[in-house]
Amino acid sequence: MVTALVVAAACRARPEAAPPRAELDLIRTPTRASAAPEEGGEGAPADGGTLTRRLVGEPTTLNAVLQSSLPEAQVLQLVQRNLFDFDARLTLSPGLAAGMEISPDGRTYVVALRPEAVWEDGRPVTSADAIFTIRKVADPAVPAPVFQSLFDGLESVEALDPRRFRVVFREAYAFREMAFVLPLLPAHRFAGKDFQAAADNRAPLANGPYRLVAWKSGVSVELERNPAYWGPRGHFDRVVFRILPDNTTAYRLLLAGELDEDQIDATLKSRAQADPRFSECCRLVEFYTLDWSYVALNNRSPLFADARVRRALTMLSDRAAAAKDLYRGSARVISGPWSPDSPAYDASIPPLPFDPAAAKALLDEAGWRDSNGNGTRDREGREFEFELLIPGGFETGRQVAEMLAAELARAGVTARVRTMEWAAFIQRVDGGEFEAASLAWSAVDPNPDPYPYWHSSQCPPDGLNAGCYRNAEADRLMVEARRELDASRRDALFHRLHRLFRDDAPVIFLVNSTQKFGLDRGVRGVTTSPLGLSGIWPGPIGWWEAPGPSPQIVGKPAA
Amino acid sequence: MIRYVLRRLLLAVPTLFGIIVIVFLLVHLAPGSPVSGGGEALRRPTGRAAEELRRLYGLDRPLPERFGAWFSRAARFDLGESFVDRRPVGERIREALPNTLFLNGLALALALSIAIPLGVVAGGRPEGAFDRLSGAALFALYSTPTFWAALLLQSIFAVQLRWLPLYGVASDPAPAGLAGLVDRLAHAALPATCLAYGTLAFVARLVRSGVAETREADFVLAARARGASRRRALWTHAFPNAVLPLLTLFGLLLPALLSGSVIVERIFAWPGLGRLYFDSILSRDYPVILGLSLLSAVATLAATLASDIAAAAADPRVRDGASP
Repeated sequence: MVTALVVAAACRARPEAAPPRAELDLIRTPTRASAAPEEGGEGAPADGGTLTRRLVGEPTTLNAVLQSSLPEAQVLQLVQRNLFDFDARLTLSPGLAAGMEISPDGRTYVVALRPEAVWEDGRPVTSADAIFTIRKVADPAVPAPVFQSLFDGLESVEALDPRRFRVVFREAYAFREMAFVLPLLPAHRFAGKDFQAAADNRAPLANGPYRLVAWKSGVSVELERNPAYWGPRGHFDRVVFRILPDNTTAYRLLLAGELDEDQIDATLKSRAQADPRFSECCRLVEFYTLDWSYVALNNRSPLFADARVRRALTMLSDRAAAAKDLYRGSARVISGPWSPDSPAYDASIPPLPFDPAAAKALLDEAGWRDSNGNGTRDREGREFEFELLIPGGFETGRQVAEMLAAELARAGVTARVRTMEWAAFIQRVDGGEFEAASLAWSAVDPNPDPYPYWHSSQCPPDGLNAGCYRNAEADRLMVEARRELDASRRDALFHRLHRLFRDDAPVIFLVNSTQKFGLDRGVRGVTTSPLGLSGIWPGPIGWWEAPGPSPQIVGKPAA
Repeated sequence: MIRYVLRRLLLAVPTLFGIIVIVFLLVHLAPGSPVSGGGEALRRPTGRAAEELRRLYGLDRPLPERFGAWFSRAARFDLGESFVDRRPVGERIREALPNTLFLNGLALALALSIAIPLGVVAGGRPEGAFDRLSGAALFALYSTPTFWAALLLQSIFAVQLRWLPLYGVASDPAPAGLAGLVDRLAHAALPATCLAYGTLAFVARLVRSGVAETREADFVLAARARGASRRRALWTHAFPNAVLPLLTLFGLLLPALLSGSVIVERIFAWPGLGRLYFDSILSRDYPVILGLSLLSAVATLAATLASDIAAAAADPRVRDGASP
């Protein structure tokens, strides 16, 4: 994983018996093509067995409000349900909630909880739990990075009865429904305790299909079926998450049949494709997600303040070659700040071409010429030299940066690629203290709202518009879009914004690349989605194990 | 003697304090912040949320004040709470410590049990065929990168031959009793080998040169003249004298028992101190970094102190302050 500049919420859900209420205005979310359900022809699901999955790091907490990283989200998804969840087509479906009514002005939300929803200890899930959770999320003294910003502008939250509660916001927000992709905490377990050091943070009370059996620090997190679960049960009796920081070790465990699922990178994918042992035991599942990568340019720097220069840099970047040779075909060139699978993305807008001659002309026009004959362009005594920061440990990102630097050098622009350790890197980026930086966007929900990342009011140190892009027209479109409650009109605004972004090139938009998983052949019922394998509901809950000894099935990898 | 020990103990106090101050400064002045979280973070707090976190961690207070607060707690054996999961630092260290002690202890035992006979035999006939051969092999071993060796050993013994487990500290569920011990040893075999071979090469060469020197000494020649066999002269006369520098080396090896290896623990998914240290550095978990640094500083000082005292006990010139 490169860098995570991420929009809110972790994601989980399942389309269950009770359909959403008629008046429920669920988000018409982002799907275009790539929700690729079932891999087909797998027979009827069977129950039983143990699913062994990988966590790349130790969860730091299993308090759903305090969660901040992927391993935590992966475990919690199976233990605690959300009010609503995204399904594989990124449509919101009810989880703990039975339905939701939204007032016409888009400020008031009345959520009804499922009457059958109970905690592991038999107590019902109530409005008191929801109110406790939302107050914690909105409390500035509680670090709730995943959910907090979605509750910005919260006016009040109150119980109408034990199963219904009302949330009022100060103003309407087009993507507010995403706030209700929210897990609940059992209020009764936190009463009178220090919220951030409560025992429940390591032993959460389940209201989902599985419950925690053991958390062995640095080793594993083990779950078993929650007998008190009120919804359709998961197929596996047990789910074991092994904490495996090393990619090669995880890959070998997959081959040895000791791991059922492992996210792999491009290098391991090539290795898997050439490895007969892999095709014997496992299959490769590869699909596009909402993730995309880019090179951030600091628009406050005199080097990149001029849109012509930024456009020239994009045109000096051979993105198609990078997609083909460095991403080995597992990437598509993008022209704006969304994945091509997001409805905000206008597929009719082609990326700026790779055209060094035109790019050089643009640089000349912007006044960057090599006046002192040293091989590097300059203007008003300043050489066109900058540092391109990349985070360590991401091979493809480094190759792309090196390739770009070589291309720039031919056009008289000097980019020095500098690898930095993650924490130091991200501090520079968040602080806006960089000239150029290689970044990737990894989406945890389909919210396409560009405002927090591109609006001029969101510049560092307080906002996430790291390169401090400023454009009055873009600002206006962004503000209008987040107030527009009609989806098609909103998409039209995003498409105008997309064209503006392509031409203004606030960053160098690179590619949307795939996620790749090695899966044991015995694991069936896997659904891919633009949010990954487990960012959706039912996601892994819908997986099951084919009977018989799994690693012996002969065949070729699915991809 | 008692005065000497007391003096050394008193001297250790300012040394320890100096180490703590330097580590504290380095940790806090390094770029990066505990607020941003690691590379797996889903979303980083910014603006007001980041400020709240800084306040929660006490990072809004001036550096000397933070040091004072940390130090006064540490002096009462309280290392504070981890930023990452709000658990006591002592608890996190106690979880990982037995794993690292077990693995490193095993590795050290393995290294010494092979290195000593190897060194004695090689030193018994310097420049002989065995000495040259083992010398070359040991140099090759010493310069083999650990990560490469680890992956190779995994590939051969765990993937292809399937003799040993690939990773982890024990099977799940772990068998009870003697079978449990065998299971743990089997799990430790590959990582311990990885940790052992470097030390092995080093110690074997050290023993070899010691033995090679002492075998020429008068008392060894005298033993031979009195009719002791070559083997007896080597093991009972040359070796005990050659091993003295090894005892000093122990003072350095002992603290190494506590410092986990990042690479080996990561590859073999071994939940020890090395991984804890590494993860804490990546997430800038200051209290854990400081706790672990304090632990290894104390271990190093204790071991040095112990070997100094042992040297003083053996040699009166040391404790009397006269130059030897």
